[in-house]
Amino acid sequence: MRLRKALNDKLLAWKMAGGVRQTLAGILERGGRNPMVVIGFTMIVIIISIALLAPVLPIADPTQQNLEPGQQLLSPSSENWFGTDENGRDVFSRVIWGARVSLTVAMVAVVVSMMIGIVLGLTAGYFGGKVDYIISGTIDLFWTFPPFLLALAFAAALGAGLMNVILAISISYWAGFARLMRGQALSMRERQFVEASRALGARHWRLMFTHVLPNCIAPLIVWASIGVADAITIESSLSFLGVGTKPPTPSWGWMLSSGILYLGNAPWISTFPGVTMVATILGFNLLGDGLRDVLDPRMKGLRR
Amino acid sequence: MADLASYVIRKMLLAIPIILLATLIVFLMLYLTPGDPITALAPPHASVEELDAIRDKYGLNDPPYVQYGLFLWRLVHGDLGISIGAATRNLDVSGLIVQRLPRTLELMGIGLGMSYSLGIPLGVFSALRHNTLGDRSVMVFTLLAYAMPSFWLGILLMLLFAVELGWLPIEGTTGGFGSIILPAMTLGLGNAALTTRMMRSSMLEVIRQDYITQLRSRGLPEKEIIYRHALKNAILPVITVIGLDIGWFIGGSVVVETVFQWPGIGMLITTSISNSDFPVVQGCILVLAFFVIAGNLFADILYAYVDPRVRLG
Repeated sequence: MRLRKALNDKLLAWKMAGGVRQTLAGILERGGRNPMVVIGFTMIVIIISIALLAPVLPIADPTQQNLEPGQQLLSPSSENWFGTDENGRDVFSRVIWGARVSLTVAMVAVVVSMMIGIVLGLTAGYFGGKVDYIISGTIDLFWTFPPFLLALAFAAALGAGLMNVILAISISYWAGFARLMRGQALSMRERQFVEASRALGARHWRLMFTHVLPNCIAPLIVWASIGVADAITIESSLSFLGVGTKPPTPSWGWMLSSGILYLGNAPWISTFPGVTMVATILGFNLLGDGLRDVLDPRMKGLRR
Repeated sequence: MADLASYVIRKMLLAIPIILLATLIVFLMLYLTPGDPITALAPPHASVEELDAIRDKYGLNDPPYVQYGLFLWRLVHGDLGISIGAATRNLDVSGLIVQRLPRTLELMGIGLGMSYSLGIPLGVFSALRHNTLGDRSVMVFTLLAYAMPSFWLGILLMLLFAVELGWLPIEGTTGGFGSIILPAMTLGLGNAALTTRMMRSSMLEVIRQDYITQLRSRGLPEKEIIYRHALKNAILPVITVIGLDIGWFIGGSVVVETVFQWPGIGMLITTSISNSDFPVVQGCILVLAFFVIAGNLFADILYAYVDPRVRLG
């Protein structure tokens, strides 16, 4: 929690540094030399590619039950790499298909909350004054609460289901993005190139979205990367509590928590989705942390 | 100290809108719920008149703002409504919460203690051996501990210490002090990882400062420099945000209590969600939100107390 808050502050403080290339090309160029970024990025690319390729991979149907005697709770073998679950379904295939669900939930939720955050933060920071007063007040209110608690409240009210989980996480996570965006916009609007454009008669929306926003991308990317990791954790915890995704949809969180019953005699049911999930979360955290180090000039020469 | 007092008052006033937002969200939860909340209360095959009478009784026929006003009015009187769950029908929600609260506080307190007593030494160790194998291992540990969802960590710990080794009770509270160790450890480990990382970077920053170099040049023993001079400054930013940890622990406690069947507020939420006992879910979330707000306030005040620049700003 507080590491997140400290990180958000740190990302906000970047604007003070000045002269740092925070463009997308700059991030890619310098990120390629940071081991954390490279490892995290590689892990994410592998997992996402496998998830995308799931329909064409030669794997079993993840929902195909095999109720013939002796086909349930099979331990890992050359036939079923990760074993089978209590309904005789192939765990390997479920982990791969589960990646699609978990990653979709996490990424869509992060994109939605990023959009809410960008619009609100940009409006507040760019216009300032009363608009800023009202919006940043709201941002601070939401910023106070841990995203998990908010998501739990919304998910408990909305009930289980894929869309509800996405909605609950989005409503809970936007404040971090908005806070970053507001701070960046506040400093950007005073820059000369923005003023020059304004003097040339550019409209507000043009200034906001073509001049201010592209220059604030770097901290948003760091926050988004860590956001995906958080969202995966939140989704799995909600599933564990029974307000996440619903049973037929094989999300990692759901598989993990339903496999708990069989931990004693068939630990592979929850271990494999668990390990995959931790690896994914780790990948996104590494990427986010690494990018932060790459982009934070104060950390130069102080390898962490 | 006068400036500190005015700072505290200012911060407390700023907490009021946050509290109102929390109550508003909790109040709106009822409207987000699909279906009519009345169905849980009404006897099966109730007539329209009967349903209306029940709505009247719970004030559900009033316009929303009146309902919200009444909700707040009852809230300031400590009335959180009554439970509609099958097992706890008609019991006071506030009573149920008060009964569970000590368990959650106990768990959070011990978890907090564990996370600090693990995180601070590890962070210092890591900073003093910067970029060595030991430091790297600690960093890998923190990354893993942080990436692990707490419910899964809890299950694994339970499997290891309770099922395999049989050292500690599996769940519940029957094992005396032994039964709190596993849940507190699960709750504390994620935060220990955060504490380690904060302690490490804070220590790294401090030992690079001029006054430490000056102490070294005066020939003070390294131990004395680290423990008497550096640690004091490095530990401050780690300790002052203790209030913010409450947010982490609140979220974690819901999950951890459910894993270990620990009868605190977190487990009350989970069981109430599955029983569709909405007043209890609302009440619990509200109480947890108050804790978060209080924790934030505490962090602000503590920070201003140790760093006078904050309260003058």
